[in-house]
Amino acid sequence: MASQPDKNDVVRVDFAFKRELAEKVEGDLASYCYQCGACVGDCPATTYSDGAFNPREIMLMVLYGLGDELIREGSILWDCTNCYACHERCPQQVKPVEVIISMKNMLADRGFAPTSAEKVIKTFEETGRTVPPNPAIDKQRAKFGLPPLPPVPMDEISKLFGTANGEGGAE
Amino acid sequence: MKKFAFFPGCLIPARHPAMEFAIRATLENLEIEIVDLEGASCCPDPIYFKSKDKVSWLAVAARNLTLAEDLGLDIFTNCSGCTATLSETYHLLQDQELRDRVNQRLARIDREYRGTSRVRHIATLVRDEVGYDKVRESVVRPLEGLKVAIHYGCHLLKPSRIMQVDNPDNPEVMEKLVEALGASPVRHRNWYLCCGKACQDEQIPNQMMHDLLDSVREEEADVLGMICPTCFGQFDHGQMKIAKLFEKDFSTPPVYYFQLLAFAQGVPYDKLGLERQRFKPVALQRFEEVVAG
Repeated sequence: MASQPDKNDVVRVDFAFKRELAEKVEGDLASYCYQCGACVGDCPATTYSDGAFNPREIMLMVLYGLGDELIREGSILWDCTNCYACHERCPQQVKPVEVIISMKNMLADRGFAPTSAEKVIKTFEETGRTVPPNPAIDKQRAKFGLPPLPPVPMDEISKLFGTANGEGGAE
Repeated sequence: MKKFAFFPGCLIPARHPAMEFAIRATLENLEIEIVDLEGASCCPDPIYFKSKDKVSWLAVAARNLTLAEDLGLDIFTNCSGCTATLSETYHLLQDQELRDRVNQRLARIDREYRGTSRVRHIATLVRDEVGYDKVRESVVRPLEGLKVAIHYGCHLLKPSRIMQVDNPDNPEVMEKLVEALGASPVRHRNWYLCCGKACQDEQIPNQMMHDLLDSVREEEADVLGMICPTCFGQFDHGQMKIAKLFEKDFSTPPVYYFQLLAFAQGVPYDKLGLERQRFKPVALQRFEEVVAG
């Protein structure tokens, strides 16, 4: 499957990749991209990676269906700063950052999320918070006359998670 | 008193309780009544959990919104990340198909999202429901001559179609809020840059933060005016890291806006938890005598 397209090869569109991406929320928006490059000028990840990260090129890879370039371990997609400048600038409302996050969903489905992201996700899934409660936090809060962190009803929260493939999940 | 449901999120209550204290103290003076939301969870965060599964992310966010809907109140946030998640959820769930999909999940816990509670960031809540003049009237020690370099961060302003806070190319809400304290807002050359926290690469955020701090330093600002707790961390401990890495003497203390407001409203410097910061805004101490007497 891993096809680094050679210049002499015909580009093979990976339709399975495009279909899977289209099923993610706002994953299909790249279809509206006409490659104007408005997203590039304001992208801090482009500026500070000497162009290695380029949202226009990423949208082009999506249009070509070059899923293998993006959906793999150590994907460049994690270099996005999530600043939403591309979302702001895009005249076609492609929301490149949202297409990128949808592809991150695909990466996460395959266990390719970076360790630091996995850690925050796990903390949230276990405690309903990104910062887990502990006695030291409540002590600090008391200094400011604030009550301890209130409990999060995890029985409710965990029922909202789907299965790895999206719908269905724990009924 | 106008009533609003308060969505405090994770970072401020757990890592920066001093910020929560300042919010509660200042809003009372501005005649906003805070109603706490029982059973709220993480928004969930718009970077990591959203990266895992957008539908679950929307479902948990929608559940949080239903807590305010049950009370018949609009919701306000104090963190730009929570604002991003909840505003985007409100926006996306105007699409009936997606709303049905999310409501199928919520049905598992006998809840239904109806879209009846608006989401406001605390800065716009103060701008729109209190007004700059009333903020000015609440100040007992004007911070005259204090130069505040404004850092908006990303998610307060962008995407503007969804956030509906201000013009991201030329915003003014923070400047006006700082002016209401009697202080002088400063817009530095690289004001629009991102704090880089969400980027997994190291070089990109390091170089970006360097350029940002470099232009802050050129302005010789007394403090950095912050409105996002994630950016705050990048400018406090993060600033020390960047200073070391680039061997520069970056040392502009960040201050969360509502702690600045609390101080201007007369809360003593040493009651605001500012001594816990890596860079302490000692420039504020010169305003202490004014009220003490």
